[in-house]
Amino acid sequence: MRFASEELRSKLAAEYVLGTMSAHARRRFEINLKEHPALRRAVAEWEKRLMPLALTLPEVEPPSRVWQAIESRIRPGRQGRPGFWENLSFWRFSSIASGLVALALLILVAVPGPEAPPADGTRMVVVMNDLKTRSPAMTVSWEPGMPGKRVMRIRVIGHAEMAPGTAWELWMLPGKDQNPVSLGLITTHDAQTVIVPEPLATKLDQAQGLAMSVEAAGGSPTGLPTGPVLYAGQCVKT
Amino acid sequence: MDAEQLSGLLSRCVLRDQQAFRTLYQHSSAKLFAVAVRITRRRDWAEEVLQESFINIWNHASGYNAAKSAPMTWMTAIVRNRALDLLRRPREVEIDEGHEDLMASIPDESPGPEELLKQSMEAGALAECMKQLTGEQQKSIALAFFNGLSHGELARQMQKPLGTVKTWIRRGLDRLKSCLDAHGI
Repeated sequence: MRFASEELRSKLAAEYVLGTMSAHARRRFEINLKEHPALRRAVAEWEKRLMPLALTLPEVEPPSRVWQAIESRIRPGRQGRPGFWENLSFWRFSSIASGLVALALLILVAVPGPEAPPADGTRMVVVMNDLKTRSPAMTVSWEPGMPGKRVMRIRVIGHAEMAPGTAWELWMLPGKDQNPVSLGLITTHDAQTVIVPEPLATKLDQAQGLAMSVEAAGGSPTGLPTGPVLYAGQCVKT
Repeated sequence: MDAEQLSGLLSRCVLRDQQAFRTLYQHSSAKLFAVAVRITRRRDWAEEVLQESFINIWNHASGYNAAKSAPMTWMTAIVRNRALDLLRRPREVEIDEGHEDLMASIPDESPGPEELLKQSMEAGALAECMKQLTGEQQKSIALAFFNGLSHGELARQMQKPLGTVKTWIRRGLDRLKSCLDAHGI
């Protein structure tokens, strides 16, 4: 197997991260990176070792036109090269899907429902999409505005697998400039509930969205997501 | 802004939170622009690198893993890779030939690689480990890291045979690695 020796991987990764490779060698190395996870790990290790050097450079304020250009490119409906999210505008897709699934949930809840929706018919629904496949992977719903606590009903769509030694942690995204807030660990079971007590319950009703990240067993040690976010979705009132 | 706050902002970028992205930019762009300016040695290229890097950060925030790397490490690597690609890919020959001029175009007040290295020596395990390298190892690694020189460019700049420069770098990095390993980094 190529790159079987750890020493070789480390040596190549060091040259790549330091930046001494020629254009040709960089291109070749990047192709190999895609295919060899062990090589990617070696690169990550060297980045961890060397990147702090860059922070010793005196800061240089970029001109404001750089941010303006970036902002114009990330706005939904902007002109230009389509990026990762724009091919099938994530949020537009998400809200259509949310509407459909919300409707389905309402029907589910309304017809045989042991828990009927509140009289005014208001329900919060979040359709969380798998960020890789962009298809709905999980739904979360609850009745907002109730006193005391919220009972979040979670449906995991399809067959999901959790890597051994990891945990799924659900996060509330309050929006604006606030950090995510943990709503606790969840399982891969297709139907489950999470109880959210006050004062978090009131905040939950105002949340912009929810996200699910993969954490070490036992959940995030920092109180913020530390692992990759797998699923995320926007809160929709139905 | 500390690593935890920056991680929090990145995790909100996953949800297309533009406000969080703006805050992330405000707190990291000056550091990252410095890296791009230093390597490309041209403002217009550095601006292009910064713009493309932030688009990349926005689009791939879900790939950021706080358990594996600090947010600034992740973002700096993206900027350096963009800058090195721009520097190497289209005009490698041109840069090789006009190298002296380009080096001369770095403003005088800008600190040299060795001076930067001294500044980095202030604290931390990396600084401590850097001190254990020979002067030549330090200088060649600093020139490569801060100025983005390839092996060939380094050999010319330091007026030494290619093999000698490669050996300095390889041994320097080896020593750095074992020292940092001993520090648990």
